[in-house]
Amino acid sequence: MNAIETKIRAALSEAEGKLAAAVDAAAVEQVRIELLGRNGLFPALSREMGSIPAEERRATGALFNTGRTQIEAWMEAAKERLNAGAAKQAAAALDVTLPGRRTGCGHKHPVSIITDECVAIFRRMGFIVAEGPEIETVYYNFDALNAPEDHPSRDPQDTFYFGDGRILRSQTSPVQVRVMESHQPPVRIVAPGRVFRRDTPDATHGMNFHQIEGLSIDKGVSMADLKSVLQRFATEMFGEKVKIRLRPHFFPFTEPSVEYDFSCVMCGGAGCPVCKHSGWIEIAGAGMVDPNVLKNVGYDPEIYSGYAFGMGLERLAMLRYRIGDLRYLYENDVRFLEQF
Amino acid sequence: MNISKSWLEQYVPIHCNVETLCDKLTMAGIEVEAVDNAPRVPAGVVVAKILERNPHPGSDHLSVCQVFDGKEKVQIVCGAPNCDAGKTVPLATIGTVFKTPEGEFKIKKSKLRGVESFGMMCSGEELGLNNDNDGLMILDDSLEAGTPLDNVFPGECRIEVEVTPNRPDWLSHWGVARDVACLLNEEAKLPELNVPATEAAPADLVTVEDRELCPRYIGRLIRGVKVGESPEWLKERLTSVGLRPINNVVDITNFILMELGQPMHAFDADLLAGRRVIARRAKAGESIVTLDGSKLELNENHLVIADAEKPMALAGVMGGEFSGVTEKTVNILLESAVFNSSNIRATSRKLGISSDSSYRYERGVDYDMADYASDRAAQLIMELAGGEALSEKVEVSAGRPEEKVILCRFERIRSLIGFDCSNEEMVAIFRRLRLKVEEITEISCKVTAPLFRLDLEREADLAEEVARIHGLDKIPVLPVSATVVDSIRDDAYIQLENLRNELIGFGLDECMHYSMVSERSALSDSRFTRNDLIALDNPLSSELALMRPSLYGEMLGSVERNIARRNLNLRLFEVGRVFCGNAEMYPEERLECCIVLTGCRYPERYSGERDLAYDFFDLKGLLECWLEKRRVKTFSFKPAEDGRFAAGTAAAIEVNGKVIGCMGQVAPALTKGWRTTMPVWAAVIEVDPLFRAKTRNEQMTALSQYPAVSRDVAFLAPQELRHGDVVEFIRRSGLANLESVRIFDIFEDEKTLGKGVKSMAYGLTFRHAERTLRDDEVNNAVEKLRKKLTDDLHVTLR
Repeated sequence: MNAIETKIRAALSEAEGKLAAAVDAAAVEQVRIELLGRNGLFPALSREMGSIPAEERRATGALFNTGRTQIEAWMEAAKERLNAGAAKQAAAALDVTLPGRRTGCGHKHPVSIITDECVAIFRRMGFIVAEGPEIETVYYNFDALNAPEDHPSRDPQDTFYFGDGRILRSQTSPVQVRVMESHQPPVRIVAPGRVFRRDTPDATHGMNFHQIEGLSIDKGVSMADLKSVLQRFATEMFGEKVKIRLRPHFFPFTEPSVEYDFSCVMCGGAGCPVCKHSGWIEIAGAGMVDPNVLKNVGYDPEIYSGYAFGMGLERLAMLRYRIGDLRYLYENDVRFLEQF
Repeated sequence: MNISKSWLEQYVPIHCNVETLCDKLTMAGIEVEAVDNAPRVPAGVVVAKILERNPHPGSDHLSVCQVFDGKEKVQIVCGAPNCDAGKTVPLATIGTVFKTPEGEFKIKKSKLRGVESFGMMCSGEELGLNNDNDGLMILDDSLEAGTPLDNVFPGECRIEVEVTPNRPDWLSHWGVARDVACLLNEEAKLPELNVPATEAAPADLVTVEDRELCPRYIGRLIRGVKVGESPEWLKERLTSVGLRPINNVVDITNFILMELGQPMHAFDADLLAGRRVIARRAKAGESIVTLDGSKLELNENHLVIADAEKPMALAGVMGGEFSGVTEKTVNILLESAVFNSSNIRATSRKLGISSDSSYRYERGVDYDMADYASDRAAQLIMELAGGEALSEKVEVSAGRPEEKVILCRFERIRSLIGFDCSNEEMVAIFRRLRLKVEEITEISCKVTAPLFRLDLEREADLAEEVARIHGLDKIPVLPVSATVVDSIRDDAYIQLENLRNELIGFGLDECMHYSMVSERSALSDSRFTRNDLIALDNPLSSELALMRPSLYGEMLGSVERNIARRNLNLRLFEVGRVFCGNAEMYPEERLECCIVLTGCRYPERYSGERDLAYDFFDLKGLLECWLEKRRVKTFSFKPAEDGRFAAGTAAAIEVNGKVIGCMGQVAPALTKGWRTTMPVWAAVIEVDPLFRAKTRNEQMTALSQYPAVSRDVAFLAPQELRHGDVVEFIRRSGLANLESVRIFDIFEDEKTLGKGVKSMAYGLTFRHAERTLRDDEVNNAVEKLRKKLTDDLHVTLR
């Protein structure tokens, strides 16, 4: 072993120890400067290489090269070890579990959620939204809808009146009349909106609530079309399993008239308190538009037929979210609003 | 209405169970709301035969009986006087549970004065079958021992149904039986009557002065009746539908009402002056005291049944107090009449009284039924109240109304109901419903609606009958086929839906309030006075008497309520319709939006950040982002004075040069007493102008590829100089290539700058679309601005 080889071996064993013990990047750098830097050991030894005998030069050169590679590898390992430590330290400094700076999530009112959903479902079935005033005339709310002159719903017990004889609409159906008056068939609209009944507010009654109304008029429209649209709506709103059932009923503005039920969305029809153990939940009324209503707006009932349906949006919201008391919807307690 | 199943079975055989029956009724439009199917006697009570009766060794009033209960001989100790051997009696066997108002009691093996007893023989009262408690109830000897008594006295099955207003014919057992017969494919029958008159009627017994209000009146005299208790079966019929038995004559009239739907009235003929009735309009000033004791003032709109002198009954609604049948009554004038339904409804509503009778008259009774009902009642009174003489009927009528004949085009009906039902099936359905069908051809038939079906007028009504009886469940569900009728651009909801989604996107919670408010709430929006408000004529209460002119009042109410519940950090909004009676303010109905911020900006954070309260610029920033997002062409905020907001905090919101709303800190007068120290910030904005507002160009602006050059300008200005004016001034200075102006510092310090002076610093960015700007051209521009600032805005450059 010549003097150069001796120096290389000594340097290697010293470097290994120093790098393993290095606590920071500066210690690693110090080793690099001492051994590999411009004025370090290895460049110096490289210059001395000429002084050793030619027959030894080959072996010494090989040792020189592997030695240098070895040191670089140790340095790399040391750096990695140090970086990992630093990352750990940094992680300890940032507590990612602390709360973020929130600017408010924003919550849609449950009745709006249901309204928007209904509208989206019916738009997919070719309906668009129409609207009308909330302060209505008796004509649009009752007369044009074939309500008999002395129908109880016209009574000031049940409907809100103003001094000029107008009323707060008790249903969204006047929108049907307004649309039919201004459009020729085919007509395909839904009308969501606020309606008013003179009921003292309690858990299931409001004097002020929302309905969505549907109307489709064309040649050859039948009850099968009505049932199909309502079934599609039930499926989209409450899922594949929900079935609908039509029952005969009576409304002045439709003939035939039906009430429609959804199979109970809670128990699937097996019977539970929500459906009063009947398996069905009454949703609302519908029917084929009465020929008198068509005549009132100037449509020929011999040519056109159509269906209309309506439903209460609060009721759907209460079913969907299992809201037990209607009044929560108008109290606006943020602990309630923020659940939706 | 209450229907008794066994009563129904008097007219139509029912071979299905109650559930099936109820299902069929509901699906045919007679909606069953409740079924009361409780047994009448408790399970465990059986028919038993008394075999032996022996005296009790330890008592002189008790007997020890050996009784056969159908299976074995058991010993029963009994206190009844009539427990004689050979009698057939009810026996409550061991384990029978009686439910009494005091609670349940169970029959157990017991010892009475030392003698064992294995059950209890019962009286009629103990079983709740009658009021007889003098001894054991004695049963028919033909009954076999061991038969459950429930089979002998089956429980009433009471079905409560909702009858829609178009079907008054369902307001009787016979009427429901007709439809049940159709549904079950059975035949419904009324009892055959045999009522021979025994004498002529007095000539002037019935006079009808107004045949429009009284189209048919049938009266007859029954003499020599004995008013008393009704037989058990009759009392049971009435109690089974919830009516209280009174006396045999009154019970019979009530029975007829429930059986046939024809209201009947029995007058005590001896109390009628002149022994006659006159159906006439009341005269002004007349009055009547009705059965329920109330005195009613009458006028010519009311139809009365009067005697020769005065009103004795309010026709079709209620009898008078002094003409009714009592125990003393001997002679009866029996009324079976048809009255005008609208008039009865108006009278009932005006006078605020109603009855089972008016309920039916209001909806319309069967013209043809009056005659049969009169006979039926007369026969029952003769049989059950021992009438001695029955007069001929006296009928006064305006003539039988014509029956409606409706053309039924089979194909038309099929196309309306959307399912297949053959011509023959339709005809069969009509016939089962007792409609006359004639002139049947390949394409149509003529259907005559009987007078009990006044709801049938048009083809559509026949379609309903076919759909209802054929079964709505047979309507197929098809894939929905939609015709695209209108453009989505015509959709009236999209704008509102988007607007709401935008505000929710800014982290606001949506509220909903009633449209009716109190005066205090309405006027908390100080733009309005009482005269601007629209008032309801018939509000539920004074708190809900006015249409909201603004969303402000109710929103503040919700804020206060939340604060009271310690929900202190609120970001709320509502979009809704508001109403105004003063067209100068706005025409009647419009959409408004109200936004509120109060509390902490980051309540979930900690240390100093936690306490950052919302300030003016939080709300303003939100509004700016919103308007920016809506792409309105221009918007700005101008200082304003507004009673809704605290002085010096209000700003008017201008969109495209027009004020559309206002924002600021809610006026202290409105938040007085609220349990919060935080300011409440609110904005009230008119929505329609936003929907209509001109928006910015939709086309994109090309991006410059060249670098921007920045320069700063700072100056001392008087306190009153507003930022908006500075920006406006700079923008108008016509600096070439100016891209943006941003304020980056405002500094006030009385010591260094002097009183009423502030330092303002602005960063200007210049950029050219097509080339890199040279330093000198930017410097020249800035120099020009600095000169203008000094000369025209009179500020001191720094």
